[in-house]
Amino acid sequence: MHFGGIYEDETVGKVYDRRLMGRFIAYVLPYRRMLTTALLLLPLIAASKLAQPWIIKVAIDEHIVKGRMEGLPALAAAFLAIIFAESILMFAQVYLLQWVGQRVMYDIRVQLFSHIQRLSTRFFDQTPVGSLVSRLTSDIEVLGEMFAAGIVTVVGDILVLAGIVGIMLWMNVRLSLVTFSVLPVLIWVAFAFRKWMRLAFRQVRARQANLSAFLAESIGGMAVVQLFNRERDEAKEFRRLNASYVEANLPVITWDAALYAVVESLSSVAVALIIWYGGGEIVKGTLSFGSLVAFIQYIEKFFSPIRDLSAKYSIMQGAMASLERIFALLDNDDREPAVLPASEAAKGTPQACQASPAQALQSICFNDIWFAYKDRDYVLKGFSLQMKRGEKVALVGETGGGKTTVTRLLSRLYDVERGSITIDGTDIRELPLPVLRRRIGVVLQDPYLFSGTIAYNISLGDPEALKRVEQAAAVVGADRFIRELKNGYDEEVRERGVNFSAGERQLISFARAVAFNPEILVLDEATASVDTASERLIQQGLEGLMQGRTTLVVAHRLSTIRDADRIVVIHHGEKAEEGTHAELMAAQGLYYRLYQLQFKD
Amino acid sequence: MRNRWGAYLLGALLLVGTNLCGLAIPWLLKLAIESLQSPAKAGYTPAQYGGLIAAAAVAQGIIRVFSRTTLLNAGRRIEYELREDLYAKLLTLDRTYFSNWRTGDILSRLANDLTNVRMLLGFGVLSLLNTVVIYTASLILLTRISPFLTICAVLPFPVMILIVKQMSASMFRVSKRTQEALARLTTRVEENVSAAAVVRAYCREEGEIESFGAVCDSYSDASMAMAKIRGMMLPVMAATGAIGTLVILFVGGNQVIRGELTLGGFVAFNGYLAMLVWPTIMFGWILNLVQRGAASMTRLGEILNAYPEVVEPEQPVDPGEIEGEIEYRSLSFSYGSAEMLRGIDLKIARGSRIGIVGVVGSGKSTLVRMIPRLFPVADGTLLIDGIDLNRLPLQRIRAAVGFVPQETFLFSRTIAENIAYGKPGATREEIERAAKIAGLSGDLTRFPQGLDTLVGERGVTLSGGQKQRVSIARALIKEPSILILDDPLSAVDADTEEEILSALSGYYGKRTVLIVSHRLSPLRNCDRIIVLEQGSIVEEGSHAELLELGGRYAAIHREEQLKAEIERL
Ligand SMILES: Nc1ncnc2c1ncn2[C@@H]1O[C@H](COP(=O)(O)OP(=O)(O)O)[C@@H](O)[C@H]1O
Ligand SMILES: Nc1ncnc2c1ncn2[C@@H]1O[C@H](COP(=O)(O)OP(=O)(O)O)[C@@H](O)[C@H]1O
Ligand SMILES: [Mg+2]
Ligand SMILES: [Mg+2]
Repeated sequence: MHFGGIYEDETVGKVYDRRLMGRFIAYVLPYRRMLTTALLLLPLIAASKLAQPWIIKVAIDEHIVKGRMEGLPALAAAFLAIIFAESILMFAQVYLLQWVGQRVMYDIRVQLFSHIQRLSTRFFDQTPVGSLVSRLTSDIEVLGEMFAAGIVTVVGDILVLAGIVGIMLWMNVRLSLVTFSVLPVLIWVAFAFRKWMRLAFRQVRARQANLSAFLAESIGGMAVVQLFNRERDEAKEFRRLNASYVEANLPVITWDAALYAVVESLSSVAVALIIWYGGGEIVKGTLSFGSLVAFIQYIEKFFSPIRDLSAKYSIMQGAMASLERIFALLDNDDREPAVLPASEAAKGTPQACQASPAQALQSICFNDIWFAYKDRDYVLKGFSLQMKRGEKVALVGETGGGKTTVTRLLSRLYDVERGSITIDGTDIRELPLPVLRRRIGVVLQDPYLFSGTIAYNISLGDPEALKRVEQAAAVVGADRFIRELKNGYDEEVRERGVNFSAGERQLISFARAVAFNPEILVLDEATASVDTASERLIQQGLEGLMQGRTTLVVAHRLSTIRDADRIVVIHHGEKAEEGTHAELMAAQGLYYRLYQLQFKD
Repeated sequence: MRNRWGAYLLGALLLVGTNLCGLAIPWLLKLAIESLQSPAKAGYTPAQYGGLIAAAAVAQGIIRVFSRTTLLNAGRRIEYELREDLYAKLLTLDRTYFSNWRTGDILSRLANDLTNVRMLLGFGVLSLLNTVVIYTASLILLTRISPFLTICAVLPFPVMILIVKQMSASMFRVSKRTQEALARLTTRVEENVSAAAVVRAYCREEGEIESFGAVCDSYSDASMAMAKIRGMMLPVMAATGAIGTLVILFVGGNQVIRGELTLGGFVAFNGYLAMLVWPTIMFGWILNLVQRGAASMTRLGEILNAYPEVVEPEQPVDPGEIEGEIEYRSLSFSYGSAEMLRGIDLKIARGSRIGIVGVVGSGKSTLVRMIPRLFPVADGTLLIDGIDLNRLPLQRIRAAVGFVPQETFLFSRTIAENIAYGKPGATREEIERAAKIAGLSGDLTRFPQGLDTLVGERGVTLSGGQKQRVSIARALIKEPSILILDDPLSAVDADTEEEILSALSGYYGKRTVLIVSHRLSPLRNCDRIIVLEQGSIVEEGSHAELLELGGRYAAIHREEQLKAEIERL
């Protein structure tokens, strides 16, 4: 079966041009000193390589032929010294190149990661986790391969090539031209192959991302797969993706092999041409025999850097395909909402995450907001709500009515389409995101726990919150079960908190919101997986804490919200009713009905 | 490698072929030059020799393409099969295994470690074969000139092998460390992206970047340690070749002086010796591939050799049609050290409805997870229709159980596909019926694409209650004889809850139903309710009986009612 899932990231639509390399070089430039050092080592290494046969030659001509053994040990010592020098130089070169490669990978990786931190929530709704993982890991690893293959020494290869071409032309223009007649074929092959290879590599990278997206999802849902006996179908789907990945690789192998073979054969064909042409010249007496032999040797030298280049060529094409994907993600403009220019002097400085607002919060207003996740599919239609300092406002209503959406808009996880949300009269779009979000503590409907310790999960590594971990846990009544754990607050939390019960996870994520000591507390069904007794404990714990704080509560269990100052009923994205519990009961509307249903016996 | 030996053999033969063509070219060249020197004795004209050389070159090229593709494709095929095996293995592993592993780690093994193994099996084998061919050819030529000198020339090799052996061991270790660091990096990315909303809501972006930087750093360090060893390997290899030359210089030189060796022979010997240098360096590179591949293979082995605790019974009992009678007999269970279920004794007649309540962490979910064998039953027994659960075929019991987990997991497919997940090949009507019982109809009419709405990963584009109800529909469509609902309506409003509960009561029929809930309303139709506390059943009975008992259940009930009463006043 072929699922119409979202892990169908075929090749990137946008084909990047030659600027790709230019952009990449910008990442290498900061390390140019290291690179030039590595490049400068090249001639030294070459010299030490050349010196070795020369010493042997001296040894043979001056000593062995003449039968003089004295002086030979000195030569041997020199020989060893040169080998020693060569070893050190080679080591230094490999090390430097790798170092630069690692730095460049590090820079790109961290930049990409930082960029992802700035992307909008919408982006994550649409992008499979696994495909992002593959960009940050395997796509960047491919760049590393490029450095490991010594791509930088291409410069050296090209220089050597130019030198040899010069010498050949100087020796014999006509023979050189005969030799070079194979070059157009080579250049054509290189260009044609580049297109095909790039296409094939693009396919490979995209399919690798699909595979990884499928795998990531599948690991997360393994229990469901097994519960529903669907192992065989998942295996089939995996086989399809796996096969399509391997198939995408086969053309790459073929092109690579073909390129290798073409270069290898052309060098021999060039020799054949020289024999054919030069042979005729010799017969005519216009060419000396010695020149012909020398020329054949030069052809060998001429093709050796070309062979090196061609080997690096396909690695480079692979790297280009990866760079395309990396840059495409970096160029993704689906950023978090931008901060609008302040209509009046906005408070707080941008980037200052800890910046505490000058004044205590007075009011929050939702003014006739409209919002759609997709196109014109409005989830909120003209929703308005006023909250004052210290108030507790409850949102109730049918699931899918838009309650969670309201809380998301307040934190600007999404931006309103029409209307506005203001805090103390300032549009939240004019507040720097950290300033806004620091004031709000949200308990998300789906609690997420990181792997780490309980203390880390409550504080998220924030030093201020860390001081309040135990207090916060006590407030929400999480301390009861935490104290029973062997390591208490240092107990290990596994990925997504799998080693805790759903209710415990919810309590920990509740404690997190409390530990951040926010002015506005947003509780999105924060006690849905918690029993009534524990819920009462939380309410008691919160009572003292809530003084002077503004709270927005979403709950289905109406008993949890009876003490709210105001209750707002959302129905299909619109405010249906608003008032205190007593008022709404008297009105005998939606709320009344919900209430009757819940306590009917 | 299994049945890929054929491919490797063919590849090796083709490689020999292409090398033979390669060797023919200098030989033809020699003939051509000789023919130019003395045209009278020549067999062919220079142009003909040129043609022969070109022909050999073309042949070499063609065989080269085949040899490379044969070998490299074989590597890819093995990679494919290995990946299949790994995934097949993952499908058999149980919750205990997955809760000890990170998704990112597994992802990294299946991507990066597999790449290393493939490099070894493709390029590694190719280069090894190439090197062996060249080595053998050169050694044969060398021995023909002077067997004694050949022995002298290879004298430094044992020393090299010793050094290299030493280095390989550390290469293996460092390579493993590198792969571990890469796995950690992958894990960081995976978690960060999964938790995008939390990271944003709590302004943890900077902190995340910082800790990601640290992980990248440790990966860079490990990679550099690897580069260092690799950098050291190159000169060692080069030096071995060079020292061989040096030995020849002395020994061979002496032989020439003593007249035991001709000067020409000596020079030729030196020439061939140079041929050995390149493959020797190559050998260092191959070794690097081998060690990396081996280190990665042990990491893949950790998956391949993992074994689940929940396994198929050795002597399965055919239960026939599972009817849904469940009996726990002094069943205890612990996730690790602490006991989570303590001596549970519980008999559930077929067709009865059981409600389970208890405070957070009292073991409710654990209790119901035992039935579809998400965790192993080791201490005590669980009987289904009177048969030990451990002796029922896994497929059979899981087919008989409809399970709605407390934590909803949906696939990034359409709603219809997610519901039909419970019953492959379900018809549209069946899907719609299940959706209706689960109270989804209203929402579906509001979605422009209805049932064909694509939900995001884990269902992120649905509201909490919508997700939960898709998950219920997925269990219902299965028509199971045992239905387990673990806190199924926690994210659903009273109105929808009412709708679902009344639809469900029509659906229950002969099925055995277990409902875990924190609110009492979904337990209304239950025949019996059990109260769990710290993994033990502390109360058991019907709603009325438990109220009369005046224990914990009555307290929960009173609490709910009390709140209602206060409001009514
Ligand atoms: N990320 C999203 N992308 C697209 N649609 C969404 C997303 N989140 C929620 N929706 C849709 O918006 C509607 C309101 O959802 P939500 O605010 O979560 O409801 P609730 O009142 O249950 O909290 C639902 O119909 C849901 O399917
Ligand atoms: N996979 C697991 N590994 C270790 N401990 C677990 C795991 N799952 C649950 N636990 C622990 O077992 C206890 C009972 O969990 P659970 O049955 O989920 O409780 P609940 O009654 O809330 O459903 C909890 O204290 C939880 O920390
Ligand atoms: Mg919601
Ligand atoms: Mg539970």
